[in-house]
Amino acid sequence: MAEPLIRVQTYVVVCVLLVLLTVLTVGLSFWHVPPVWHIVLGLCIAVCKASLVVLFFMHALISTRLTWIVILVSCFWLGILLVLTLGDYFSRGMVPAAPGH
Amino acid sequence: MSPESAILTPEERAVLDQSVLVRHRLEEQFRDLDQQHEAASLGMWIFLATEVMFFGSLFLGLGAYRYLYEEAFEKASIKLNWIIGGTNTVVLLVSSLFMVLAVHYVKLARRKELLVCLGLTALLGLLFLALKGLEYYLDYRDNLIPGWRFDPEEWIEKEGLRAEQVPQVELFLMFYWIMTGLHGLHVTLGIAAVLTMLILAWRGHFSPAYYSPVDVTALYWHFVDTVWIFLLPMLYLLGSHTFP
Repeated sequence: MAEPLIRVQTYVVVCVLLVLLTVLTVGLSFWHVPPVWHIVLGLCIAVCKASLVVLFFMHALISTRLTWIVILVSCFWLGILLVLTLGDYFSRGMVPAAPGH
Repeated sequence: MSPESAILTPEERAVLDQSVLVRHRLEEQFRDLDQQHEAASLGMWIFLATEVMFFGSLFLGLGAYRYLYEEAFEKASIKLNWIIGGTNTVVLLVSSLFMVLAVHYVKLARRKELLVCLGLTALLGLLFLALKGLEYYLDYRDNLIPGWRFDPEEWIEKEGLRAEQVPQVELFLMFYWIMTGLHGLHVTLGIAAVLTMLILAWRGHFSPAYYSPVDVTALYWHFVDTVWIFLLPMLYLLGSHTFP
């Protein structure tokens, strides 16, 4: 049970990558693009960083299938929460006013 | 004096104290330590899934209102201190590295390294809170606390917002205070858990056969780090910054 399966060097490399991605995400906020891009790029980098943390630091990479089910199910429920609600907000302007509104 | 002490020599007693038999604390409902460890780890993952929904709803609210009140949120976001926000991200990421190294070393029965890594994790957590405190003080100084220290005129005159956009700025700042406050609470609880592990490790509580508490504490700590990874772009980096 107690065999460490990921080497110390790997952890250090992952941490350096995470710090570099943090510098990148802060650096990109100085790029003058339409504001929506800040949130899109910022969240893309954040998802990459979170994946690195979950896979390597939280040992999802070497975890049991049961753990993977919990991870995927929590992502799925979060997805329902975000996609359905934001889908409603984002599409409100697209729908012509219904009679009686 | 316990019966064992009477039978065993001090050397034998020391060996027994370090043995899996005394230390493992296998609960009766589990077949073996592997199964117990798996159950503990799964329990923490399920707890973290509920935490994902807890923070997820806050991120959802922030995202939806950012879509509705783009200009006000952007201008309010630029006012936040991205230097401290960014530095704190690095502090938490490095603390996560030490936390994962603590798990690594407990598996190798390297007690000294385990203690150092746990101590550094807690220290970096405290540094995070100290920087957060400094940031809150700067927010207080800069009138960024809606309902207490907030000047609507400032936002209309200096930032060029319309009067009806000022409550939108206050809404963003409320998201900022609530989300960073709740995250700070999680960090505080995390530090308490890490310090508890430090004390237990100091007493020689853990072994390569039994280290579940260190492992689940690490899962919690990494989760708190992950939340901050998303708070950085969603709170501090919504607008385009210019070099000071």
